Amino acid sequence: MDNEMIMTSEAEAPAVPVQEEKQYSSLRYAFGAVAAFFGFSTKTHRASKKRSKLVGDIVTYLVLLFGAFLMVYPFWWMLAGSFAYTLTGAGQAAVKSLIWWPNISTFNNNVSAFYNYTETFTNGMAGINNGGIDTTIAANMSYWRAVLNNLIYSIVPVVVGVITSASAAFSFAKIQWIGRNVVFFFLLAAVMVPGPAIMSTQYAMYTDLNMIDNWSVMVVPGLFGSIMTAFFIRQFLFGMPTSIIEAAKIDGAGYFRIFCGFVLPLAMPAIMAQGLLSFMGCWNNYMASYIFIASNSEWINLPHAMYLMNLKYEDNNLGPVIASSVLCVLPVLILFGCFQKLIIGSLMLTGSKE
Amino acid sequence: MEENVTAVAEESAAVDGSVAIAPAEEALPPVQQRRHINRAKLQDNIWGWIFCIPLIVGTVWFVYAALIMAILISFTGFSIGGMSTQTLMECLGNLGENIYKTTPIEFIDGRPVVGATYSDPFYWYKTIFTTFGTMPGAVDAAGNVYKMNAMGAHMFNTVFYMIGIPIGMVLSMFFAVCMSRDIKGGSVFRVLYYIPCVASSISIVYTFKILFNEAGVMNSLFGSEGLNWMGGELTWNSVMGTNVKNAFMDTQFWCQGLLQKCVIIIMSVWKGLGGTIILYVAGLSGVNAATKEAAQIDGASGWKIFWKVTMPDLYPVIFYNIVTSVIGGMQIYAEPVLLFGESTALDAISNTSGYVSLVWKYGIFPQGNSGKMPSAGAAYGMFLAVIIFVLTLFQFWLDSRKKD
Repeated sequence: MDNEMIMTSEAEAPAVPVQEEKQYSSLRYAFGAVAAFFGFSTKTHRASKKRSKLVGDIVTYLVLLFGAFLMVYPFWWMLAGSFAYTLTGAGQAAVKSLIWWPNISTFNNNVSAFYNYTETFTNGMAGINNGGIDTTIAANMSYWRAVLNNLIYSIVPVVVGVITSASAAFSFAKIQWIGRNVVFFFLLAAVMVPGPAIMSTQYAMYTDLNMIDNWSVMVVPGLFGSIMTAFFIRQFLFGMPTSIIEAAKIDGAGYFRIFCGFVLPLAMPAIMAQGLLSFMGCWNNYMASYIFIASNSEWINLPHAMYLMNLKYEDNNLGPVIASSVLCVLPVLILFGCFQKLIIGSLMLTGSKE
Repeated sequence: MEENVTAVAEESAAVDGSVAIAPAEEALPPVQQRRHINRAKLQDNIWGWIFCIPLIVGTVWFVYAALIMAILISFTGFSIGGMSTQTLMECLGNLGENIYKTTPIEFIDGRPVVGATYSDPFYWYKTIFTTFGTMPGAVDAAGNVYKMNAMGAHMFNTVFYMIGIPIGMVLSMFFAVCMSRDIKGGSVFRVLYYIPCVASSISIVYTFKILFNEAGVMNSLFGSEGLNWMGGELTWNSVMGTNVKNAFMDTQFWCQGLLQKCVIIIMSVWKGLGGTIILYVAGLSGVNAATKEAAQIDGASGWKIFWKVTMPDLYPVIFYNIVTSVIGGMQIYAEPVLLFGESTALDAISNTSGYVSLVWKYGIFPQGNSGKMPSAGAAYGMFLAVIIFVLTLFQFWLDSRKKD
């Protein structure tokens, strides 16, 4: 692509003055004609600007399509693999060499087409034992319980946390109080503390507070909001006119009323985008559950449950693991598909602000 | 507006005028009026704090308090369910007594005798650099065993995975330039490229695990029979087909699982590409079009325009990307552990885990029955925090030097 750019700009440049016709060999002319057809200017033929733009566009499309294929292919593979019939040894071997569609699929093996999914739902989590280490799941733990846990862990802290972050952002952006910048930078400095560095101490702290191995360790820290979310919403609020708030103040509205009635609705695009991003982060949060919740607890989240399922199925039946991978990715992809404009727009806005 | 507020506030009786926050005005307004202005400012101050108090509490509690506790307990022998039976708060309450106690084995210039315990605040910091968890090493012809400290080996892995950062930067720049050409459907590509970023990493890991197995797609693509991406150790000799027993080149810790580590690099580049592309596309759309056009009219080639006009404008985005990806790269944990399992120090065939896994291995899931030792984990964590801080400072120093 860059090559074309060079060529076109050379063609425009007045550096080649009109000289007396120089004779080239006919082979050279033929080459020049072909090159011009593909948008390259040579000494004998000058490619038209339109043609070189067209060729450049085609090459760009090809490159981008190839990249997009690489980006999407593993997801296609996941979907295809979730229909592989892996209960037999031959099927298990076949799924490992799967490229486009499984040779031995659930469509031609006298089971229902969605066998792997039903297997995941019914006894995906039953009888998991990792040979000694305490990863025996309570027998009554079902796959749906992990899904429910994951929903709780990713909806409650995100909704409450985004609102607390937005309220802090409102306070920092629109209320004149003494020391607000000092407090803001004090909070922003916390971003520099790497999470893993303090997480083992947090483990001890949560143990003291009896938060280990139940829902609270996944929910409570999120309720207080996150400083990065507050930072982005604050940036958004700076672009909002202050006169609205002042008008509301004159009409006698209190700050709480202003926040609920004006700031929340007006900053909704930023709040939604940040909320969706942190929802996706929480939904995929494998590490927190793995560290803070023992594998035999019934409060593990979905990625953690998938980890245990993989331990159980890896050597004898991969299909349900792939099916549960699809189920774990699907909600996030649907959400992203619905709100892609909002999310990408917000990311680009923050990107250009830097 | 101030007058209006005071006019409104005039109706309600001012209760307290004892607010010393507002600066006194030189024009000496009537006492009554100044009190009302103060009242409005008092409202501002009170509500300002109320609105951000949850975030302040959360940050102070879960980050700053945890950081201070981490620093403190890294000097103690605190453990959960092991040697110490006290809670974290009790341990911190009697910090002086709980400084790590150790039994010296030999005399050091008249210092503690055998059998007596003496306190050693820096016990963990010494231990993580020396004896804690040596990695299996190669044996040379003379029978010497070369062992590697666990921290060095894990840090090597973390740094090795950071090879993916420059690769990802170049690739994403290339795709971003392609996308910001004047073509239809550029936004569709942006969405497609961002999909891996939102997908759950555990699903991706299990997919890549099968994509890269010996019979999998990657091997059939390259037409190689059983290139073992996912397992096995790879020593220098096996790569080169020679039999030189060079202790350095054949020491296991850095040859271990080179192909496995490449899988991690490929995966992290693939997963991180979309986010970087979006930042670059945003940056490219902000590049000054007029300057570009002027350069074009002056006869600059496309390549030259890219380097001399576009790149300087993009520099802040690139710098931001480098800083965040180095910070993120230092904290790599889940991908190697999910793909290859936690490599325990002593029985590892190939060690692929990043540095962060040491925090867990010795902090929360230690071997043996010494209980969980957040103090050891905290020491590892503090070392990581210092490294990240120094790296970030170094990058900002480079940045400031460039501007001069």
